[in-house]
Amino acid sequence: MEAPQQITSRKDPRFKVSMYEHVGVKNSWTLSYYLGHGGYQAAQKALTMQPSEIINEVKASGLRGRGGAGFPTGVKWSFMPPVDGRQRFLVCNADESEPGSFKDRYILEDDPHQLIEGLLIGGYAIGASKGVIYIRGEYYQGYQRLKQAVAEARQAGYLGSNIFESGFDFDVILHRGAGAYICGEETALMNSFEGLRANPRLKPPFPAQAGVYGLPTTINNVTSLASVVHIINNGADWFSSMGTDDSKGNKLYQISGSVERPGVYEMPMGASFRELIYDLAGGPTMAIKAIIPGGSSTPMLPFDDEHLDTPMDYGSIATKGSMLGTGGVILIPTEKCIVNATWNLVRFYAHESCGKCTPCREGIAGWMVKIYQKLVKGFGQEGDIELIEDMADKIRGKAFCPLADACLGPVQSSIEHFRGEYEYLIKNGKPMYSKSDWWSE
Amino acid sequence: MIELETIRPFFEDKKELLAEILNRYPDYGRRSAVMPLLWEVQRSERHVSEARVEEIAGILGLHATEVKGVMSFYSTYHEQPLGKYHLQVCSTLSCSLAGSDQMYDWLVEELGIVNGETDRDGLFSLQKVECLGSCGTAPVLQVNDVYYERMTRSRCKEVLAALRRDELPEPWLERGGDNVSAEKAQIESES
Ligand SMILES: Cc1cc2nc3c(=O)[nH]c(=O)nc-3n(C[C@H](O)[C@H](O)[C@H](O)COP(=O)(O)O)c2cc1C
Ligand code: SF4
Ligand code: FES
Repeated sequence: MEAPQQITSRKDPRFKVSMYEHVGVKNSWTLSYYLGHGGYQAAQKALTMQPSEIINEVKASGLRGRGGAGFPTGVKWSFMPPVDGRQRFLVCNADESEPGSFKDRYILEDDPHQLIEGLLIGGYAIGASKGVIYIRGEYYQGYQRLKQAVAEARQAGYLGSNIFESGFDFDVILHRGAGAYICGEETALMNSFEGLRANPRLKPPFPAQAGVYGLPTTINNVTSLASVVHIINNGADWFSSMGTDDSKGNKLYQISGSVERPGVYEMPMGASFRELIYDLAGGPTMAIKAIIPGGSSTPMLPFDDEHLDTPMDYGSIATKGSMLGTGGVILIPTEKCIVNATWNLVRFYAHESCGKCTPCREGIAGWMVKIYQKLVKGFGQEGDIELIEDMADKIRGKAFCPLADACLGPVQSSIEHFRGEYEYLIKNGKPMYSKSDWWSE
Repeated sequence: MIELETIRPFFEDKKELLAEILNRYPDYGRRSAVMPLLWEVQRSERHVSEARVEEIAGILGLHATEVKGVMSFYSTYHEQPLGKYHLQVCSTLSCSLAGSDQMYDWLVEELGIVNGETDRDGLFSLQKVECLGSCGTAPVLQVNDVYYERMTRSRCKEVLAALRRDELPEPWLERGGDNVSAEKAQIESES
């Protein structure tokens, strides 16, 4: 018998929205609404299973972390050392701050119980009785909703001791960030949680060995944990029936920039950029020249048929020289000076550099941002492009954490694809495209 | 030290709140409370003074420099008082493509202050901030803790006029994407 075709399009009648089903619905954040829509059934089921069975199920589903790096979630869970009586932690990374990414936000605001349920299942699977949700400080509404949800869940016995009479205890600590992108990096996050300055830590030791307070810890993204709820409910086979070879399941894609209906769209992995941009988001509002495929750190690609027809999965985007990242697509219009757009992102990374290591502090936050500033002001000189390239070359792979390399994504790709615009700007002292007012009435 | 003697400790009459914050964390992780404590002070006094830093250090058994070190790492805590309305304009790419640079310029004109400044009356502070996770509903203006999204020119004028009347307008619920409008949300929940 032939295996059924993988689901790789949202138009496939077998595809159903799961994680985002309730986002945008009034009162969807309450426990009564959640219970009325099948809430906490997955947790109830999971707590009758063996922890190792859950880990195997998540492994079999093919779920890869949705925080950006794409590490297989089940495999990560199996790295936890054997239970030895020490406190263990499952940390949820809700620091979402990569420009172009906003999928976690609406789960926090509109479906917080889904996250708590995912955390509970994950905690049980890795033997952690404490969950931590590290939520970025700016997500105040999300924090309020989450706080209410945790209180409701405690009251109803979904958090606390002996949950579902299983003998398993679990509770959640909510911790708010305070405006620093680097806190999304998992080891910086742990320092921040501990009340230290949020500089990244050296790895190894990895979090599973020495994480929060030096204790065994696993860190997962909000959407990774939300996915687990549906994997337990519907089975690993359901999840892996969607997507492509190296990218299983459904994913929350985000689209912003010059497009008719920006926002978050849940799609099976392997759907094309074209489907997202045209069929769901209604197409561009003006001529487009570049696609940032997965959040600001992923190298931009030219907006053409070849790239539009590329499936949005890990492998396919990698073959085109970029990355899936967080799945946050940004469309850059032709009329936007590419040097200016890149400068905007370089400025971002420079601002967010934590200052711990020299290549990033001096290279990105010092030199790189200054050269870009000079370019956009029209004071570029011959040799500046080569200087940027040379610096990029010397920074890549040499910084303490991935933030510095993240900045090089837009830098190197914009030069690769739009060198002409850089040259024009340097030669003429003004950009090739000069549209200056983007604000609508 | 003089300040400490004359200023009433912030948490003196907030014992319950203090206990609740400290109890969130395990005993060996008492230091974790430094961010929530700083935030309580920032939120209520619009800045964190040296005296408060000393006080928090005392509560947690830390040196004031350790608390200050944490405080200075983040952009949320301020040494100088913010205005009553803290206007935070996202200036990152997706917002920039939706006009946030012009929105910022307009606010500068209207308020007579630039990035990082507070006006004479202490009513407004203006700050450029980085991506707020509202790229799908750009541009975004965050006022204190509230997001105002899809800030067109006309909405921006309305919001500023309301703030000048000392009213914080209700934000509109917009999600974009799979959930296009508040109207749709309303219909779905009723059906
Ligand atoms: C500079 C930087 C910022 C990051 N920001 C986030 C973030 O905001 N949210 C997130 O989930 N992961 C972020 N990550 C990835 C995390 O370090 C980590 O890989 C992830 O939370 C693991 O969860 P996952 O396996 O479920 O994806 C960031 C990484 C780096 C290097
Ligand atoms: S690369 Fe940048 S953010 Fe990362 S440790 Fe070095 S200075 Fe800090
Ligand atoms: S770029 Fe402004 S919210 Fe993301």
